[in-house]
Amino acid sequence: MSTARATPVTGESSLERVVRWLYLVGGGIGLLASFVLMVEKVALLEDASYVPTCSLNPVLSCGSVMTTPQAAAFGVPNPLLGIAGFAMLVTAGGALASGFRPPRWFWLALQAGTTFGVLFVHWLIWQSLYTIGALCPYCMVVWAVTIPLFWYTTLHNLSHRPVGALLARYHSFVLTLWFVVIIALIGVRFWDYWSTLV
Amino acid sequence: MRHRPRDFSVVSGNAVTVAAASERAAPGRGGIEQGKVVNEVMPKEKIVEGGRAWPSANVLLTVGVVVVAIIVLGGVLLSGDDEPQGAATVPSDVLVDENSHRLTDAGDDSVTVVEFLDFQCPACAGYYRNITVDVERDYGDRITFVVRNFPLDNHPLALSAAKAAEAAGMQGKYAEMYHALYDNYEQWAVTEDAAEISDDEDRARAAFDRFAEEIGLDLERFHTDMDSDAVAKRIEADKADAEKAEVTGTPTLFVNGERFTPSGETFAEVKQQFRDRLDAELAQ
Repeated sequence: MSTARATPVTGESSLERVVRWLYLVGGGIGLLASFVLMVEKVALLEDASYVPTCSLNPVLSCGSVMTTPQAAAFGVPNPLLGIAGFAMLVTAGGALASGFRPPRWFWLALQAGTTFGVLFVHWLIWQSLYTIGALCPYCMVVWAVTIPLFWYTTLHNLSHRPVGALLARYHSFVLTLWFVVIIALIGVRFWDYWSTLV
Repeated sequence: MRHRPRDFSVVSGNAVTVAAASERAAPGRGGIEQGKVVNEVMPKEKIVEGGRAWPSANVLLTVGVVVVAIIVLGGVLLSGDDEPQGAATVPSDVLVDENSHRLTDAGDDSVTVVEFLDFQCPACAGYYRNITVDVERDYGDRITFVVRNFPLDNHPLALSAAKAAEAAGMQGKYAEMYHALYDNYEQWAVTEDAAEISDDEDRARAAFDRFAEEIGLDLERFHTDMDSDAVAKRIEADKADAEKAEVTGTPTLFVNGERFTPSGETFAEVKQQFRDRLDAELAQ
């Protein structure tokens, strides 16, 4: 099933099944986006006048986002972290699909990784909207997959607690609301620009 | 699923813990146990009650959020459409001040292009290299090209560069400094490895001094003017007009008071659109 949607969870499915597919598909998409960003970054380093493939207009512009200090928040280009992190999630998804039943520490490590990812992504969203003032399409792909990766990992790890059961009952509602809020913030922030396109 | 909706609220921590423990104890059967447990935690979306299928609260709420979001967006778009599109034209006294800098001047009756720019913004430098420098050359005798400051807060050297251009303007060399700043963008606006936007004020000021000397400015006066109130006020006035014209980013171009909104994906396409636009205005 496609995981990031409000698709009905069918009888035989479980959070573990959702997480497995999410890691494979979402992690794969994140990995691809990070990889492309890294390739673009290298092209930009080789030739400062290179215009990245995702620099479409003044708002949707990877070039102006990729050249900011925020694009290398830890001193190295952010996509390097993405390539490493998403590759791990894809591997974890593959392991789960093969029937691997991870010990508790494995899930906690995944929780730590996706929590770091989701916090970092929200900091980047904030920076992109209110400091840089431009959006980078590949980066937004990473935002879009990191949130469900974190959300369903958390639900999985909380599934043995009452609060987890409560959240799981409204899993797609929370996720949809989360996305709608971010989309609304983007819409409001760049309203002047979007409205000129209509 | 045999449970009725209310049963889900009584999924207790205990029952789940027992099931999880049995999974650990008997890993061979874990899959079955796990499936059972998780089914209770993340219930089927369709709950059968009295033979009829109801979507769960989760599905209803999810659909609700999406519907509300679409209605709000639709409402905003439709109400926006009520405003006459003609309002997109910004009055010329907002866009062009009497003493605004003109790169080219073909008189007040000619086609007027106004660009709000930030000298450190990479997109502006891209526009310069790919579009406006050619436009200035090819259309210079037929259009009036006005440039105005809109230094953005996220470009640490943009204000200094605007001051340098304005200070050069005090000695009648605005256009020369404008060209020097963009032609030598990589000497001050980006770090030496060209990887990111620079915040090295000293390096930038040294570069501005070189440009000032090259275009023949009185360097001492250039320094005084750069930090003068007059220059600061000119930049503030440009920013105030930008606000009035609802400029929020750079580069923003106006052709005869109407905002130029390219739909092209590459500089080549945008350049063609811009030239087509100018040709259309000139033909009128």
